[in-house]
Amino acid sequence: MRSLGELDSAPGRRGDLASEIDIGVGHAPAHHGELLQGMFYDGSGRLRRALVTLPDPGRGSRAVFRPSERHWGIVGTPELIKVRRAAILALREFSGHPSPAKGGQIEITSNVPRGIGMGSSTSDVAATIRAVADYHGVPLSREEVGRLAVLAECASDSVMIDDRVVLFAHRDGMVVETFGHRLPPMVVVGCDTAPGSVVDTLAFPPAEYGDAEVGAFQVLRAAFRRAVATEDVALLGRVTTASARINQRFLPKPALEDLLELCLRLGGSGVQVAHSGTVAGLIFDAAQPGLDQGVHECMAGIAALGLELTGVIGPAPTAASIWPLAARVPA
Amino acid sequence: MSIRTSFDEATEAYQIPKLVRLAPNLYAACFTLMKMIPARFILRRAAADGHLEAGTVIAETTSGTFGLALAMQGVHLNREVILVSDPVIDERLYRRLTDLGAVVDRVPATSAGVVGGYQAARLQRLTEVKAEYPSVFWPDQYDNPDNPRSYVLIAELLLECLGQVDCLVGPVGSGGSMCGTTTYLRSVLPECRAIGVDTHRSVLFGHADGHRELRGMGMSLLPGNLDHRVFDAVHWCSAAAAYAATRQLHQRHALFMGPTSGAAYLVANWWAVRNPSVLTVVMLPDEGYRYQDTVYDDDWLRTAGHLGEPVPAEPVVVEDATRPEGAWTAFDWGRRTLAEVLAGARVPVPGAR
Repeated sequence: MRSLGELDSAPGRRGDLASEIDIGVGHAPAHHGELLQGMFYDGSGRLRRALVTLPDPGRGSRAVFRPSERHWGIVGTPELIKVRRAAILALREFSGHPSPAKGGQIEITSNVPRGIGMGSSTSDVAATIRAVADYHGVPLSREEVGRLAVLAECASDSVMIDDRVVLFAHRDGMVVETFGHRLPPMVVVGCDTAPGSVVDTLAFPPAEYGDAEVGAFQVLRAAFRRAVATEDVALLGRVTTASARINQRFLPKPALEDLLELCLRLGGSGVQVAHSGTVAGLIFDAAQPGLDQGVHECMAGIAALGLELTGVIGPAPTAASIWPLAARVPA
Repeated sequence: MSIRTSFDEATEAYQIPKLVRLAPNLYAACFTLMKMIPARFILRRAAADGHLEAGTVIAETTSGTFGLALAMQGVHLNREVILVSDPVIDERLYRRLTDLGAVVDRVPATSAGVVGGYQAARLQRLTEVKAEYPSVFWPDQYDNPDNPRSYVLIAELLLECLGQVDCLVGPVGSGGSMCGTTTYLRSVLPECRAIGVDTHRSVLFGHADGHRELRGMGMSLLPGNLDHRVFDAVHWCSAAAAYAATRQLHQRHALFMGPTSGAAYLVANWWAVRNPSVLTVVMLPDEGYRYQDTVYDDDWLRTAGHLGEPVPAEPVVVEDATRPEGAWTAFDWGRRTLAEVLAGARVPVPGAR
């Protein structure tokens, strides 16, 4: 896997490589687990599994599609079954557009760690769909990419919907609610709570929630709505902490309470986790006094717990410029 | 991003409280008919689960607002509602219920003297009603877990509107509103304090059953929906204190509410004044119209011996939860079970977050 510093951040638009015309290029960012995940009522009163993703714009996947009149080939890491499925699906989706392509080659370049809940596969899949669409000259909305990604991999994070904060039904490929245009200004110190272990998201069974939990999700959603609308990081942290605790029943993070204690001790707001992975994040209000020191102490505290840093996510460009290299784990 | 829309039916509108600021750190959830929340939730869920077929009769024991809410929802669902009530049911409420098509079945006045009082007699009559009809749905507000569950609506509203609730104060009857709302609030705000308001000689928090003047609050039987471990503190309020506070709420804040609301306001206002840095929300369950000839009538108050009685400035803190004395008493419940409190046991309060 190559590390990409120069990823094209404009998804779906033709990059430099695409000037050759006979190829397509697509990009999608990664994420750092979920801020909220559970079962929620949609507009028609139906319960759906849904989540709010914490985007990690500093990481992502890039896909290059080279058409072939003969067959398919995937270049990148060998285990990209979902990418192949997404490419075939996308090609079928755009079959109405004139093209000599019967298959093609997908080249994936990514700096997203795999199997720890940072959306590596959705990132690959969304980038692939965009690359095939790019080749066909089809403009795809973010929602359409989301719908196709779910078709390709059954459950998809909402990394492709990067222009607003959404509650995304990750098995239905639809937006249940739009909370606002952006998350409150915050800094998230990320870590891997089980370094070395990998979660197989394909084999992981969906969580079964009880009536009381479904009720709690309604309340968490209302609180999250307010947190985004009023840019209240403290309230957002309470919501993510509650959501992470509910998930302890399904994919427990043994260090969760230690991380929460560390975060609150340093003036932070709460913890978030990957609900199908091992990463966790400690959330700090970007406007909090002594933020810089708090973040550095937090990084030291994570190391003292024997956990591995995954990076620091913050309101671009400030946080990225303050802690870009120190915190990043080599991809 | 979102626009205001209409309600699909009257009962949907009735269940939404108006959230009003009474002081910088005190908000009131003012209900037209709070019991609409569990009534609507329980009946709609029953309909969705196939328990309300055509011809199924809805039967419940109630002499108050829960029956009114059922009768209203019964109109929307086009189902017959039978309400087993006290002989002393308010005449205006009776007319309203029957106008909604409900059948009001009053137990005889002689049942007042038996153990459990009217409440036991009503339950006995309800059993008979259930045997008389081929298909009966019993909402069972006292033991049906859908009662507390329905109050997720209020926890959602409070969190979206306020974001923070440090203390919730409200009257306790079935236990549904206070236990449900508090439990759901604590899913985000684990340290949220709950203060229950009861009245003397109600069995809910340890008093022996006896005559109670204050209606709509207090119970002769212990409901299954009352989870005592929810409460940090319990207050007992006399009818006279509740009436005076009800008028105060009207005179100070132009809120025309019933006497259970007055009792809750008395406690919440005292708590909010003493804890200025804490955000308190008080539940005000119904409006004052049913009490215009009583609580809002000075002649009636004078005849009953309540006029001119000053509102107590603060509660008498008691060490024994079982002793019904004074106009207003308070007890440090400490999120214990009833058995633990009666045994005098102390358990640590679950920590914050």
